[in-house]
Parts: sequence; structure tokens; C-alpha cells
Amino acid sequence: MPDNKIIAVVDDDESVRESLPDLLESFGFRTRAFSSAAAFLRFDGSEPIGCLVLDVAMPEMTGPELQQELIRRKRNIPIVFITAHSHDGVWPALLNSGAVACLVKPFSESAIVSAVRTALAPDTGISR
Amino acid sequence: MKTDFSRVMDALPGLVWTMDDYGRLDYVNNRWSEYTGRTCEDLRSEGLDSVLHADDRSLLNSVFRSRKNPAPQDEFEARVRRFDGEYRWFVFRFARMEEEGAAAPWCGIASFADEAATGIGGRKTAEHRLQRFLDDLPIQVVFFDVNAEVEFINQHALSYFGKSFDELRNWTAADVIHPDDTSFVKNRLARITAEGSSDSANGRMRGKDGHFRWFRSTLVPSRDAGGNIVRFVSIRADIDDLKRAEKLLTGEVELLKMVARGRSLAEVLDALCRLVEDISPGSYCSILGVDLDHRCFRAGAGPSLPDSYNQLFDGKAIDPGYGPCSLAATRNEAIVTADPLTDPRWAGSTWPPLMESMGLRSCWSTPILSSAEKVIGVFALYKREAVGATPLEQDLVDRFINIASLVIERKQADRALRKATDELQRSNRFLAETQRLTLTASFTWDVDRNEHIWSEENYRIFEFDPASEVSLDKILATVHPDDLPEVERLLGQAAGGDDFELAFRLVPASGQIKYAHVVGRRMEHIGDRPVFMGAIQDVTARKLTEEALERARSELAHMARITTLGALTASIAHEVSQPLSGIITNASACLRLLATDPPDVEKARATAERTIRDGNRASEVITRLRAMFDANPLRFEPVDLHEAVREVLTLCSAEIRANGAMLRQEFAAVSPVVMGDRVQIQQVVLNLVLNALDAMSDVTDRSRSLLLSTSSVAPGRVELSVRDSGIGLDDQTAEKLFEAFYTTKAQGMGVGLAISRSIIENHGGRLTAARNNGPGATFAFSIPLHQPESQEERIAATC
Repeated sequence: MPDNKIIAVVDDDESVRESLPDLLESFGFRTRAFSSAAAFLRFDGSEPIGCLVLDVAMPEMTGPELQQELIRRKRNIPIVFITAHSHDGVWPALLNSGAVACLVKPFSESAIVSAVRTALAPDTGISR
Repeated sequence: MKTDFSRVMDALPGLVWTMDDYGRLDYVNNRWSEYTGRTCEDLRSEGLDSVLHADDRSLLNSVFRSRKNPAPQDEFEARVRRFDGEYRWFVFRFARMEEEGAAAPWCGIASFADEAATGIGGRKTAEHRLQRFLDDLPIQVVFFDVNAEVEFINQHALSYFGKSFDELRNWTAADVIHPDDTSFVKNRLARITAEGSSDSANGRMRGKDGHFRWFRSTLVPSRDAGGNIVRFVSIRADIDDLKRAEKLLTGEVELLKMVARGRSLAEVLDALCRLVEDISPGSYCSILGVDLDHRCFRAGAGPSLPDSYNQLFDGKAIDPGYGPCSLAATRNEAIVTADPLTDPRWAGSTWPPLMESMGLRSCWSTPILSSAEKVIGVFALYKREAVGATPLEQDLVDRFINIASLVIERKQADRALRKATDELQRSNRFLAETQRLTLTASFTWDVDRNEHIWSEENYRIFEFDPASEVSLDKILATVHPDDLPEVERLLGQAAGGDDFELAFRLVPASGQIKYAHVVGRRMEHIGDRPVFMGAIQDVTARKLTEEALERARSELAHMARITTLGALTASIAHEVSQPLSGIITNASACLRLLATDPPDVEKARATAERTIRDGNRASEVITRLRAMFDANPLRFEPVDLHEAVREVLTLCSAEIRANGAMLRQEFAAVSPVVMGDRVQIQQVVLNLVLNALDAMSDVTDRSRSLLLSTSSVAPGRVELSVRDSGIGLDDQTAEKLFEAFYTTKAQGMGVGLAISRSIIENHGGRLTAARNNGPGATFAFSIPLHQPESQEERIAATC
């Protein structure tokens, strides 16, 4: 049984916010969805966040910007980026930034599950 | 009695007579008559004097003045006139007869000089005769006794020395022997005395004019009957002229050697002057150069003249009134002046006083001419006396003028040659530098003989060792293999004697590809076989720059195209991928939910509903996209088609130029006005033009031509066509082109034509593509013209 850490899904796209948590929960993960980076930052839950499934392109605050903010706040949460952009140079940068994985939409079920599992694994807690 | 006496007297071999104390003849024998041709009576009456030579008459008288004591040895020689008027020497002897009271107590006998008796008296006579003979000899004769004392000096010697016998007797002190020869002379006598042999040697002796001359003296010991040396006879021949000629010749040879060995002009002229002065003592020589360009003198040589005088002339302008040198140079003739101070030619000149101060009187200036008969120098001979040049000196000057001319001319030629060589070297260096700077090399090429003459730069371009042989094989081995056929064609051209020009690539030893441009022209003056002169330039830098520029341009064009499409694509992709992602995620979730035990149908239903919703969202994106390109009825307006097209062409003129395409426009006379969205129409035209350029981008064997034309194909409609000479298309491709996402281009997205067709259809037109009759394809669209009165209907129809 996967541990009980919460997977936070942050994406401004409604269909992702609706579908992804369901999929993940069908695998037994616990999830929570946020519509913006700010919303996530405001969240003050008692339960620890195990990993973050983060959209890249979001209005007001982008995914990488949220990543930087979390580092600043010293919250080391493993990040799986999801993005609709495939060909710009953002991807390698994202990987180099210390994210666990970077998936391109549309991604397969196995891809997202594997990434999340890696992120939640005990020895990959470092996000730098 | 008289007869006997007479007979005896007549028979005696001599002239015999008697005379009184006063010299009057009493008796003469027949020989007198025979010899003199005078009768006895004549002789008696005229006296002895009448047949004696005038110079000798006093001798007779002087003997008789001492008649009181005439001694038998008082003989003398006198000349007696023969019957034919000739005089001959006779030895006269007298005896006084001891007959008291005799009328003619004196008896005389005169014998012919050759038959003079020997004996004490004879010897003296002989000596006198010898002396006379020696005095007359045109050579110097000196007798030395065994102690090297001077016994006798003949007249010729005395005349030469201009001294008396007594002065010369002490010859060591007489200062007649040249100091260098003195010790030799002294040793010589001692040696000969010891060895008893004869000896010949040369030495110098001073004559009465104070100058030394060369003599060859032969010293011979004279022995008596017993073989003992009694005296030495020295015979000296004047060989001074011979010596002088020898010196002259040797001197000339030396001078010529100096010239041949390239000694400096100053050295040679100096030696020349010294030689003349040596051969002609008492003369002072100088040689001046003449600078024709500057009309002035140049110092040459003047070894025995004061430096100040020599330097005076250096750079001095030639003024004919200054002195003989200047006049000689001006008039090109020899000028002599024996008395400068009074010579009217130099009146007012500062030169005569200068001469006076140096103690010089006469000056003889001769111009030195070049082989072109130009005055290139002046030879001057100065003397302390107011005399002209001796014939010897004239001869000397004539000879040496030639040598001086030769030397001066030779030096001038050397200088000119050196200057020309320097200039040539400078020129060569300049040329080589220029070639290097411009990376251009020159060559000559004899095709038949496979002979190549290359400049330095050529070796550098080909990266050959400059010391190596250049051959056609070597050259061909360096040519880029792909360009070999072209180069070989060039060789054929050249062999046929035609001029050639080619751009090709080289792959030299370093491996760096070089672009070369070669031009060759046939040398016309070599008629029998083709020989070319040409230049080859390394244009690699230019080529690489051109290529880089070309690449950048096409990249830019490509990017420009892609960017617009790219941005579009990115936004489309983004828009679509969101709902797609949702669909996949929802569907996956659905499957999983249905697979649980028991299946969570409620949740599964929710996921399915979401799936449909996402699908709809996706289709909304497409709709929105279409809407982007759909004609907004409110944006339709009258558009001047030609103007719009011209704007597009201006926009992509760089692309057209970069492609190398030739653009032609065949527009209808009157610009059609259509109803539509100006920007969208322009987008279509741009799309078609860019596609045409793309189609031609790989064309190399024909010209790339792009033809834009408008025409009226049907009433109320205008057709615009874009025709290219590119790769063309076959019929199957033609239709597929308009399908969205179909592309024949490696990096194309294939939306251009689909969108273009959509736009045209929105304008009530049709976009078609067709293969040309020749190479390439033609894309065309026809749209209705703007009909002002039916604008409302048009708007309604396209909504």
C-alpha cells in the first residue's frame, strides 16, 4: 500500500484537475487539486505533501516560479512537471532544476503513475 | 848629293821638312806635295800654316815658342789638309839639327796618326785619341782606378751631370747617385774588384736639371798584359725612356686591374694621378668628375695637391671664366695656361691667386669624355714652371684620359646598375607583398612542355614546397575530386590555346578546402605553342562568407516562416493537448474504476462524462481555429489586388533575392479590385511565393524564375497565379497538397496550403495547383471582383 502522503495536483486546466486525481486515487493515492500556485501556497493542511504534480504554464505564477518559491521557503517537495509544450528549451532546464520527471501532455497512465511513485519514494526527497 | 838625300827623304813614310827658327819651310819632301797637292814652292811661300787645320795652327807656334828647349817628346797632333780638301791627323815631331849656322836647323817629320809609334810618347797620343773618341761617344764612360778613384769621365757624362771633373771626382759626395742606389754602387765596385768579373746593373743618377734618370751601367775590368786589373771601365746607357715606358705599361695594367676588381673610383683616379706624376716628375695631377645633371664638378683625385684645393671643386658650379678646368669642361677642348695671373681668360677669377699661393704656374686641362662623347671629367696637369706639356706628357695624358674615361664611366654604369637593381628588388618585394595581401598568385604555364613558373604566393595557395617542381599531376592531385571534371575541361581548353577562367576547389595538404578562381590568358608573342600567363586567387574567405550569409539568410527565411507557423502551431498544440490529456486521463481512470471489485460505476460514469466534455472542448479548439481564419464579415473591404501583391513582394524581396530567383510580373493593365480581407489575401500570396521559392531551392541546372500574373479569366473574376521553375509536382501530389498536415517539405507543418485554400474559399474563390508544361508548378486562385452594387449580398453570402 502506498504511503499516505498527499499528492498535490496544481494545474489551471479544469480537465486535468478533474481527471488526474481520480486516476491517481484509483491507484490508491491520496490527492488534492489546486487551480493555481497561489492557491497551493495558501493551503495550510495538516497533512504533509508527498509530491507535487505541477503544470508549467500557468497564469500569474508559473510552475518553475512556484518551484523557486518552495525552495526559498525551504519546502523540499519532489516535483513532477506536466506541460503541454514539447519543443521549447524549457524541458531540459526543468529536468536540470531537480524535478523528478517532466511529462508532456497528453501522457499515458503508466507514465504519470511511475513518475509519482518515484517522487514519493523515500530516497528521492530532494528537490534542488 | 841632293838627289840621294831627296830620294831617301821622299821614301820616308811621312811628311818630312826642314824649317828655320821662325817656322819658315826650307825643304819639304815629295810626300808633302803628294799629300797636300801643293808644290814645294807653294808650301815654302805660304808656310806650313796654310795646310794645317785652323784650330791646330796655334799648336805649331806654341811648340816653337819654347824652341830654346824643344824636347824630342814634344810632339803634337795636328790636322793637315789633303789635296781633296779633307783633313787628316798627323803626328808632328821635331828635332833640331846640331849644325851650327844652319839656315833651317829644324827637322820635322809628320806621320799619319794611325801609324803613330808606340812608346811613351805614343801612348800619350793614343790616350788623347782615345779620350777624344770617348768624349764623342753618346754614352757615359767613366774610368775608375783599382782603388775606385775616378780617373776619367767622358764629355757626355760631364754634360749630363753638368759638373766639372773635379766636382765629380768625389762622386760619393757629388750627390749624383740616387740615395736608394748608393750602397749598392759602393758594394758593387768592391765585389767586382774581388771577383774580377764584369757586371751590369741599373741605377738612377741625377742630371744637371736636378732630376734622376735611369741608367744601365756595365762595369768592366781592364787588364794589362800581365792580366792584372789596372782600371775599371764603366759604360752607362740612358735607359730612362725605356724605364719610363715600362713603368707606363705596368702602371696602365695595374690601373686596369683595379678597375676590373671593382676598386672605388677615388682609389683608381688617385693611383692614376700618382702614376703620371711618377712618370713625369715635376708634374702635379688632378682629376675632377663632372656631374652633368647638376652642372658642377665632383672631387676626383689630386694626391699631390692640397686637400683644400681639391675639395674646392666638389659641388662647384662650372663657370668657364673661373679657370682652365671649367673652360675645358664647358668647351670640350684642351685648355693650356702658362701664366694664370696675366691670362685674360681668368681675369677677375679667384683662381690665379690661388695658383700663385700654391706655387703653381702652368695648368693644362683636358676634358675626359664618356663613350657617348659627353664631358664626364677633367684631367689637369699642373707645373711649377711656366712651361707647356712635354711631348712625353702629352702622350701620357692622351693615354690616361682613356683610362680615366673608362673608370668614370664604369663607375657611373655601376651606380646606375645598382640603382636599377635596388629598384627592381624593391619592385619585386612590393609585388610579392601585394600578391600575398590579395592572396593572388601569378604564373606562366607552357602547356606542351608542362613547364610552370610560379610566384611565391602560388606555392602558398597550393601548399607546395617552394623548392619543389610544379607539375600538372601535382596540381590535379590537389584539385577537389568533385571539381576535377571541370578542371580537366579547362586543360582541354588551354591545350587548344584558348583563354580560360574557372572557379574550383582545392584540397591541399592541410586538408582545409580552399576556393580558387583562376584566369589565364595566352601569351601572343609565343606563336608556335600555347603558353599562358595568368593569376589565381584564393577566394575561400569570400566564399565562406558568402556561404555563411546564404545559410543565415535561408535560416532566417525559414525561421521567419516557421516562427509564424510555429507560434501558431504551439498555441494550437497547447490548446488541443489540454483536453486530449484530460480525455486520456479520464478514460484511463474509467477503466480502472470499472475494473475494481465491485466496479465503481458511479465514478466511472463521471469520468466518461468528463471525457465527452474534454472531447467537446477539443473540437471547440478546432472551431475556434477555423474562426481565426474564417472571414469576419465585418472585415471585408475593397482591396486593390496589385497593390496588395506588391506589398507582399516587397516584404519577401530578400527571400527572392537570396534564392536567386528571377521575378517577373505580368499584371493586367488595370489593377483588379476585389472584396475581401486584405491581410488574409496577402497571407495567401505570401504562402504561394514562399512555396515557389522552396520548390526552386535545389535547382541548379536552369534558371530559377518566378512569375506572378493577374488576368481576367471570367467576367467578374480575377485570377492570380504564381508560377515557378522548381521541382514541380505530379498529379497525385497536386490534390494532396491541400490536405491539412500534408507536406513534402522536411520541416514543414503542412498547414500553409490548407489554410490558404480555406481563406480563398471564404472569399468565394478557388485555389488550384497544376504542373507546368515545362519545369515547375503553378498555383493560382481566382476570386470575384468587387461589385460595389452587390456588396450587401456578398456579405450575406459569405457569412
